[in-house]
Amino acid sequence: MRTPTMLLLLLAYATTAVVCLVGHRRLGAASFPLATLPHLATFTWLLVVGGDVLDGTPLVAEVTWVGPLELTLSLRLDGFGLLLGLLISGIGALVTVFSVGYFGARDERARIAGLLTLFAGAMLGLVWADGLLTLFIFWELTSIASFLLIGTDDRSATARAAALRALLVTGAGGLSLLAGLVLLGIDSGEWTLSGLIAADPAGGVVPAALVLVLVGTATKSAQFPFQFWLPGAMAAPTPVSAYLHSATMVKAGIVVVARLAPAFASVGPWRPIIVVCGVASILLGGVRSMRQQDAKLALAHGTVSQLGLIMVLVGLGTPATTYAGVAVLVAHALFKAAWFLSVGAVDHTTGTRDLRRLRGVRRVPLLATSVMLAAASMAAIPPTLGFVTKEAALEALLEGGIGWTGTVALIGVAIGSILTVAYTVRLAVGVLGDSTTADDPVDTDDQHHPGPTLLGPPLVLALLGLGGGLAAAPVGEALARIAAALDPASGEGALYLWHGLNPALGLSALALVGGTTLWWATRRTTATADAPRSASTVAYDRLYETLLSGSRRVTGVTQSGSLPLYLGIVLLSVATATGAALAVDRGLLDVGALPVANSPLEVAVCVATALSGIGVVLARQRFGAAIALGASGYLLALVFLLQGAPDLAITQFLVETVTIAVYVLVLARLPQRFSAAPAWAPLWVRIALSVAVGLSVAGFALHASGTRQEPSVAAEYIERSEPEAGGRNVVNVIIVDFRGFDTLGEITVLAIAGAGVVNLVAAARREQRRKHLEDGTDVEDLSGRAPEVWR
Amino acid sequence: MTPRPTVTPSTILSLTVAGLTPVLVLVAVYITFRGHNAPGGGFAGGLIIGIVLVLRYLTDGAEALRRLPVDPVVLIGVGLGAAVLTGIAPLLVGGSFLESNVWKLDLWPVGQVKVVSSAVFDLGVFILVTGVVAAILVALAEADDEASRGETTGGTEGPTDGPPTRTGVDR
Repeated sequence: MRTPTMLLLLLAYATTAVVCLVGHRRLGAASFPLATLPHLATFTWLLVVGGDVLDGTPLVAEVTWVGPLELTLSLRLDGFGLLLGLLISGIGALVTVFSVGYFGARDERARIAGLLTLFAGAMLGLVWADGLLTLFIFWELTSIASFLLIGTDDRSATARAAALRALLVTGAGGLSLLAGLVLLGIDSGEWTLSGLIAADPAGGVVPAALVLVLVGTATKSAQFPFQFWLPGAMAAPTPVSAYLHSATMVKAGIVVVARLAPAFASVGPWRPIIVVCGVASILLGGVRSMRQQDAKLALAHGTVSQLGLIMVLVGLGTPATTYAGVAVLVAHALFKAAWFLSVGAVDHTTGTRDLRRLRGVRRVPLLATSVMLAAASMAAIPPTLGFVTKEAALEALLEGGIGWTGTVALIGVAIGSILTVAYTVRLAVGVLGDSTTADDPVDTDDQHHPGPTLLGPPLVLALLGLGGGLAAAPVGEALARIAAALDPASGEGALYLWHGLNPALGLSALALVGGTTLWWATRRTTATADAPRSASTVAYDRLYETLLSGSRRVTGVTQSGSLPLYLGIVLLSVATATGAALAVDRGLLDVGALPVANSPLEVAVCVATALSGIGVVLARQRFGAAIALGASGYLLALVFLLQGAPDLAITQFLVETVTIAVYVLVLARLPQRFSAAPAWAPLWVRIALSVAVGLSVAGFALHASGTRQEPSVAAEYIERSEPEAGGRNVVNVIIVDFRGFDTLGEITVLAIAGAGVVNLVAAARREQRRKHLEDGTDVEDLSGRAPEVWR
Repeated sequence: MTPRPTVTPSTILSLTVAGLTPVLVLVAVYITFRGHNAPGGGFAGGLIIGIVLVLRYLTDGAEALRRLPVDPVVLIGVGLGAAVLTGIAPLLVGGSFLESNVWKLDLWPVGQVKVVSSAVFDLGVFILVTGVVAAILVALAEADDEASRGETTGGTEGPTDGPPTRTGVDR
């Protein structure tokens, strides 16, 4: 069914974002309330249409941009898109409400509100996108929004570096994704996700394309070996981290994998890559989380681990794992956002997130409830949603039937569950317990009480996590209808709070016991505050450094800074290319067929032009050379006139005049005579090069005017000039009308060149002024006399 | 040192050029519009304005360029903008990019006047070329002016000896 509503909603997000960003000075306190509106509208609309969508009638919207190139903005809302849309708008609304209290009256609140809204719109576009290129555009938009949000504190070098790292990693991954999608599109001839999955291409490029896609999804969803940007992204304000870096953006990779997996999971490299990267992320994230003292960083590493779990589940692509993946995705979004917002509230109240310093958080009852419920869901303790979905995941993996990858995944997830319990207990104890070790504990009793906007949103999310677990059966049924959009066979899935005594329950129990034991055993080992940089980070830094120093070296070699040398290289290329062409094919030059001259006057003018050219070379003074050059230019104008080209002659004459004036102005700043400094090449080389250039250019000109293969367009232009363009001067009509596009390009170049000259001169002057001030030779403050024209 | 473009305080020359200026500007505009049917056009017109500026600089020095009513960089933008808009305008009424149109208007008391849309394009070229020439002249003249001031105020190392790219320009 077609509906423009999706487009209108995206437009609403974009408009709100622009209003917040542009009107940030006036908007002030109204910015976050304003930013909740598109979220609420989207959430409501999704609830209204949800029933129909789940019954299997996806909604579509399309705007064709360039039809022949398949460039179409195409959106498609199916069950999975519905679920993600609800998460994005629902959590988005809660995060926005939370932000009202979190940012208070800080200056940047409108900017953050605008960027968050922009991001939310892009994320919705991403999860609703059906067109492959539409998907890519929104994908990149989220990367950019994330970059700007991580760098909110733009005075902090760490935040800037983290933002840049996130942008470079996800941006490079985006390019990889684009390459993969384009390969898939070309191979199948389908440029929509739904069409691609239906076509199920099996061409030779498909495995390579899928590897490229997986690289892209791994960067976005912070999977090993690209997980290192995510902890750095915690430089963003906590509500931003809660929204982008736990609940939504990092799910983008998972979304793409989930959509493709049912069709492509069985293709060669897919499952091995998914399982190896996913399990590595599960274990790495879990272990790293145990070593953090900053609650937010511990959560970030935990997110890497959880994303690995979801990635493995949806990536394996069997009906059962797909179902479990969708279920875990929902549970994770709820408990992780609750966790982040709780930590944000703690941070806002106490001013610290250091697990060693916090005291008395448990005496803020609503906050403690949120933390405990979120922790229970994260550690998969019954009866939370985290528990029932983890059960579904273990059960799906125990099903087996997909060879070694399934086994590795099961073992990885089992160990990961133990780690998850361990770091969750550690986090919960750290946040809720009373620190006894720190010298400078921070107690909530001494601090202000967090307001309702800080306490409400995390509590709502945490309660949803609990309610979802208690209502496992209906929730499971809804999720089954959602998962059916990915793979019809996943529609059979179900969630159970009590599933009888089975291996999955055994593994869950093992995880709880093992994890608690692990925490107990390691609770005294105080991890260093600054954990060593991970191998991936080191590799990234090295690559980045190498790239920069490599470019510097290449620039150093190719850009010597010597203008004569540059000119020499350019001329040598011209002489070699044209000379070689003329030398190889002698038939190109048919000099005999050309008349020597039309009149004696022509001969005289040409001789004079040549003589003034010789004068330029022989002149010892720069001024004399400039005059001789001007003379040859004026004589050339005469040649044009004799050949019957008055337009060209006028232009040449005027250009020559202006050029000489500019020459004189520049020459005034140079020594009177040419310097006797050693030239860039011996005299004979320069002479040989000049002669070669002269000969080859002359030969080229002769050839170009002497070989016409197609009939001339001149007659047609002259004929059409008056009736079609309304002008009798065909030269001018060609310039402004027939070939107007060329002229537009040329004047653009002219404009850029003009701006370049202005800036170069201004830069040189600034440099001089700076020197003068430094030397102290110039007591007069020249800056005070800066001309009005150059502000 | 180099013969500087002498700012001769010649009253006669200065007054002559000042008197010629409006005429030359008129000629430039005329050449621009005449281009459609006879030799000329926006490029040539813009260059004539450039030459007017050169003349003013030679007679009145950098001061003349500093008094320009418009920032040359603005002219560059306006000119390019006009040309681009002439290209886009036909798109709005369903034409193709840069498609031209001819209107014949009855303008009492002038009589029938033919208006061609590409004249706006040419006008853009005219303004842009004027702007580019003016911008370059002003930049160089200012730099030159400043350099000579630096010399007279007793800078031991006159900046004329040390423009940044000097070694690069020598042959």
